[in-house]
Amino acid sequence: MKRRCLQLLATGLVVLGQHAVADGNIEKHANPDTGLLSWQSQGDALQLELIQVLPDYVRAVYSSRGLPREIIDKVSGYCVFGTILHNRSEGPVAYRVADWRYITPDGERHRIRTKTEWVQEWRDMGVAFRWSMLPDDQVFEVGDWGQGFTTIDLAPGSRFDLEYTWRVNDTTYTRTIEGVECAPAEAPVH
Amino acid sequence: MHLLKHRFTSAAIAGLLAACLLSLLSAAAVADEDLSHSFAPVDPPRSVPDFSLPDMDGELHTLQDYRGKVVLINFWATWCPPCRREMPALERLYSKLGGEAFAVLAINQWEDADHVFAYMGDLNVIPSFPILFDPESRVAEEFGVKGLPTSFLLDRQGRVVFRAVGGRAFDHPEVEQTIRSLMAAE
Repeated sequence: MKRRCLQLLATGLVVLGQHAVADGNIEKHANPDTGLLSWQSQGDALQLELIQVLPDYVRAVYSSRGLPREIIDKVSGYCVFGTILHNRSEGPVAYRVADWRYITPDGERHRIRTKTEWVQEWRDMGVAFRWSMLPDDQVFEVGDWGQGFTTIDLAPGSRFDLEYTWRVNDTTYTRTIEGVECAPAEAPVH
Repeated sequence: MHLLKHRFTSAAIAGLLAACLLSLLSAAAVADEDLSHSFAPVDPPRSVPDFSLPDMDGELHTLQDYRGKVVLINFWATWCPPCRREMPALERLYSKLGGEAFAVLAINQWEDADHVFAYMGDLNVIPSFPILFDPESRVAEEFGVKGLPTSFLLDRQGRVVFRAVGGRAFDHPEVEQTIRSLMAAE
């Protein structure tokens, strides 16, 4: 019976893949010119950088793309980050935003709304623009990298922990960035 | 006159936006030396559907017309910082290798000729390769592009043989060597 259980467990690991907690570290920076904060992981196969984005900047980007006021007001009322991802390994690295979670101070875990979900909502409003947002999922080959907005369904100034994952071969790695702060509603005075 | 005024307005907006973008990303700016020059092989080589897209002057360019040449296809937009950064290197590469056996097609996403015209005015070196317009991103979707910039190298048979996601140092000797090898292949 015990052997049977072990076989099932081993099979499960093969089917589901292995999981590991990444062993890199996170560096937090403040931009001396703008006062805005950023977080960057170091030492992982997938390097992630999150950069605070002010609501005014979000408005400027989407206004210049001709998006309707309704969309601009809605998106700029959320917590938006510029997100930059790099493959820092010697092989392919995959990520999927649908697997990422943000954890609010009450301990609740939440899904991050994906680019496809945003685009679907906007398409219903007659808008197809999609290029500014971080792609839902990608396989980065050696040297590949990408960037885009990540939008968290929280108000400017909110705090949360971000748990994100990536996959190398059959292993899924998880890292948590604690104490991420959404950009304030207005530019910080510094 | 109206068109000229519109273009200068677009230039002002584009300039403002570019300044915002550069400011935003300054903390995260990747130094030039950090731009990768690697292209991932696409194995097996992948066929792509033919397309026809207009250039800045409205003239149609059809991919089929480039058959027999090695073609570097670059999907980009003016607001995308790494797209802006890699453009001068792309021009240097094209100046060196462009001609009978090598072509570059830079396919703009979701912008129009006026917008790109304004952007070109900000550049020290204006691209001499064709800038094409894919306003609804149909060609980008057919190529499976998920983010900008993304580039593809097509061999002389018109098959995708290499792919690069993110900005690249196109004028790196290894990129040049890869293209020369494809140009020399039967």
